[in-house]
Amino acid sequence: MALLELKNISKIYGELKALNNVSLHVDKGEWVAIMGPSGSGKSTMMNIIGCMDKPTKGEVLLDGVDISKESSKRLTDIRRDKIGLIFQQFHMVGYLTAVENVMVSQYYHSMPDEEEALEALGRVGLRERAKHLPSQLSGGEQQRVCVARALINHPELILADEPTGNLDEANENIVLDLFRQLHREGTTLIVVTHDPEVAEAAQRTIVLEHGKVAREIVNENFVE
Amino acid sequence: MTKRRMFLRMITASLLRRRSRMLIALLSIGIGATILAGMVTIYYDVPRQMRSQMRSYGANMLLMPDEGETLTTEKLDGVLALFPEEALVGATPYRYVRLDMTSRQQSFTSAGTDFEQVKKTSPYFSVEGRYPDGTREVLVGKEIAETIGVKEGSTMELTYQPSVTSASGDVSADWVPGAKLTGSAEGWSGGTMTVTATLGEDGAIAEIAVDASTQTEEFGGRTQTDQAFLSQFVGKKLPLRLNPDADETVGAGVASAKNAAPEGSDQVDALSGATVSSAAIVNALNSARNADAAAKPNTVKYTVTGILVTGGEEEGYVFMSLGDMQSLTGEDKLDVAELSVSAEEEQLNAYAEQIGQSGQGVTARLVKRVTKSETAVLGKLQALVFLVTVVVLLLTMICVSTTMMAVVSERRREIGLRKALGASDNSIRVEFLGEGVFLGILGGVLGALLGFVFAQVVSVNVFGSSITFQPLLLPAAVIVSVLIAAASCLMPIKRAVAIDPALVLKGE
Repeated sequence: MALLELKNISKIYGELKALNNVSLHVDKGEWVAIMGPSGSGKSTMMNIIGCMDKPTKGEVLLDGVDISKESSKRLTDIRRDKIGLIFQQFHMVGYLTAVENVMVSQYYHSMPDEEEALEALGRVGLRERAKHLPSQLSGGEQQRVCVARALINHPELILADEPTGNLDEANENIVLDLFRQLHREGTTLIVVTHDPEVAEAAQRTIVLEHGKVAREIVNENFVE
Repeated sequence: MTKRRMFLRMITASLLRRRSRMLIALLSIGIGATILAGMVTIYYDVPRQMRSQMRSYGANMLLMPDEGETLTTEKLDGVLALFPEEALVGATPYRYVRLDMTSRQQSFTSAGTDFEQVKKTSPYFSVEGRYPDGTREVLVGKEIAETIGVKEGSTMELTYQPSVTSASGDVSADWVPGAKLTGSAEGWSGGTMTVTATLGEDGAIAEIAVDASTQTEEFGGRTQTDQAFLSQFVGKKLPLRLNPDADETVGAGVASAKNAAPEGSDQVDALSGATVSSAAIVNALNSARNADAAAKPNTVKYTVTGILVTGGEEEGYVFMSLGDMQSLTGEDKLDVAELSVSAEEEQLNAYAEQIGQSGQGVTARLVKRVTKSETAVLGKLQALVFLVTVVVLLLTMICVSTTMMAVVSERRREIGLRKALGASDNSIRVEFLGEGVFLGILGGVLGALLGFVFAQVVSVNVFGSSITFQPLLLPAAVIVSVLIAAASCLMPIKRAVAIDPALVLKGE
């Protein structure tokens, strides 16, 4: 069953067609990677999927509901309820500790619960680093906090933008292992990357070029 | 954990863990609140401070008897009782009389007054030497002192020449041997007693005759015949008084009394069983003597204790105590009383009206020169302080607003992140407003306390007196600070809300 469906969407900035009649179908529980050189429309697509932008044309169905015409206020609600975001730059609130950063996500979603937040940190192996400020954490640790933050509200879709772009190999593997775990638990994952290794970890890779889907590669070696 | 606790935790973390930035914001609010609280304190304290300062410019109210009425010290006390004690800075009675200095062929206006009160109502009086504090002492105005050439320690004889005869006694009598003084006074049960005294060589009583026909024969009536009683008057000079210490009184068959009136004093003992009649005799003699004195020139020698320098018309006066003036003129009469009252013009007018309606026959007038300029100066000073306060308020708002603006642009990414995580525009507003309000409360408390210190320093240095802490200032300062902080946050918040959450996804 499709969790996300893009139907012939286009995003046009003046003369520039950032996305040109793109369609995409992601099933519930699927792990999809989106690749492409810069300027290929990756970011625009990511913004639209992440409910931070609307297409100029076309439909976006999330969980069967068309969100392409929703107000930005409504989009904020949908993003909060259904999507967990992971960013390349980690993006933590600098003056809050690791556990507080996770709780911020709970705060906007429903109710802050420190115990649950600590558990989520435990899951990414950072329970004993919970009281540390971002400045006291390494890049890999920060990104793991972001993963914990993304999954704390049990989103239906985790959307990751270059999640390993700023990480060394060891940390990249830790993050990918976390993704595998999430996938096994049935979480839908969409990972935007230009790292082939990260893309290979997914079940399927969509390659964008000049605002269009250039090709689609199914990973034969994918291990559950 | 509730949302509210998380909210507070985020705000306190933001304030505490981003110390330098928040310290600047807190400082700008705190300093603003300090100056504001200080200025407001001064604004409200200026009238009080300045009023007491203004009182050094002299009296601001005059009391004068109405047409046909006489102002006496007793009446003055009655009027002064209408004022609250703390409002009355001083009240100086004046009795103006023209006195002659025969030895120099000069005459000048002399004022009988209360020097202790003069110091309060005319603090600008400057005395070379000292104020008189005993009897027969005078303070001479500089102008007179230069004309007649007296200085501190000199003596001068002043003569009072009554202008009209107000005496009811035997005015034809003179201070010569054989002169007769006749007076009368009320004795027992209202009966009038008449006494005639013949003066001897030295002005002392040589003979005395009492008409006690109105008195009870076996008591007061005896004063007419009892020689032991009558003889004690002989050889004594008027005025006289009854011996206050006597525990037994003279009379037929009593040779001497315990604690008898001392020999050669101005005292006489009352007749046993006829105290009221005895007192009436003394009163009759004294009133005859006073009536006589009032009709005749009276000359007294005074010692100059100091020269008065004011630069004003007071330099042309001779000042003496009211007591001296009364014994010189033989009357208890005041021409005017100068009052220094610490109150606003409006209140002064109210007092004046109250006095006019008190039925004492006294009119109060404001010294417009003083009250008007006082009101004008106070008004201008308050306007100035008010203006400065407004400017400070504006500067504070600009300062806080700029700081908050800097905070917002610095936190663009954080705001974007929060929005990406699902924060609604309202959450962002509430969070920033929360920080602003928090800063406002802290800054307000800080400002109220420091502002009081600031106002105190200003007050002590400028006005030379301290001020009391207004408990209401604390909540007022906090509320104003919170409002300023909140108002200053409006623009920055608008900017924060406009931030696009997508910016966090771009690899900025």
